[in-house]
Amino acid sequence: MMQWKTIFKKEMLEYWRNFKWVWVPLVFILIAIMDPISTYYLPKILDAVGGLPDGAVFEMPEITPVAALMMSLSELSMFGVLVIVLMSMGLIAGERKSGVAELVLVKPVGYFTYISSKWGATLLLVWTSLIIGLLTSWYYVNLLYGDISFGALIQVIFFYGLWLTLVISITTFFNTLFKTPGIVGFLSIATIIVMSIFNQIFSHKITWFPNNLSSHIGDMLDSGSTSGELWGTALVTIIIIVALLFASLLAFRGKEMAN
Amino acid sequence: MEIVEVLPIVAPILVIQIILMIVGLIAWTKTDETNGPKWMWLLIILFFSVIGPILFFIIGRRQQ
Repeated sequence: MMQWKTIFKKEMLEYWRNFKWVWVPLVFILIAIMDPISTYYLPKILDAVGGLPDGAVFEMPEITPVAALMMSLSELSMFGVLVIVLMSMGLIAGERKSGVAELVLVKPVGYFTYISSKWGATLLLVWTSLIIGLLTSWYYVNLLYGDISFGALIQVIFFYGLWLTLVISITTFFNTLFKTPGIVGFLSIATIIVMSIFNQIFSHKITWFPNNLSSHIGDMLDSGSTSGELWGTALVTIIIIVALLFASLLAFRGKEMAN
Repeated sequence: MEIVEVLPIVAPILVIQIILMIVGLIAWTKTDETNGPKWMWLLIILFFSVIGPILFFIIGRRQQ
């Protein structure tokens, strides 16, 4: 436990030094509020820019608060995931390349301690950013579209956070397999894309697939109650996360360190 | 469109952009080695708002 804390603290210090604690939350805020705000002002923007022929009638669909909050989630699923993968693709791979991992692991630090503390540090950063981002988005949605209860927001954060945790776990797993950050990033994104294609094909059959978390969250907001499917998907996601961490450990054990 | 009426909503976004740029610039001055010419990154941070500083944070700096 002592070692775990030490590596965790070292990681936190590094996040301060390379400003991750500043820019990641800010970027998450921007990603989360971008769509709800620009959609709200779309009629005004169109007015100001002009270009519509005289007499053109442009009906704006009525957007519910739930739909607005879901916009934030879908943007986060795109750009948020991209940011997470890009910033954590060197998490372990970079240290192995530079030899820092070797320096850490000659000390009495277990492989699992090393992997899980780094994973935990990224988790803390991403969850903090997600909470700040969604709180801001929630504030704007309440301001511009209508009320969403705070309780509902907490549930959204919890369930959506699981999806981002899965993304971090996927990246961590590839980090233990490969030494080049670029390959890690590419494979992580490729995996996520393949998962989403798989989900699009089979979503009606396999409703518990992690990629369905967002749509289940949308249903939860609409109906006001957490469905069994949402819990099922959450459970499956947690199982996959644990499995990935375990696989990371196995993969890391069998690897040579930096050459 | 009245400036006054959109200001409370657009102002936070502007503030975030400015903070990102400033932090990007601080990081830029502290970095010795960048991927590619260093002055190029200065231009990127200054002229591409939001995207510029983020790009610099992610791929601009060379590890160790």
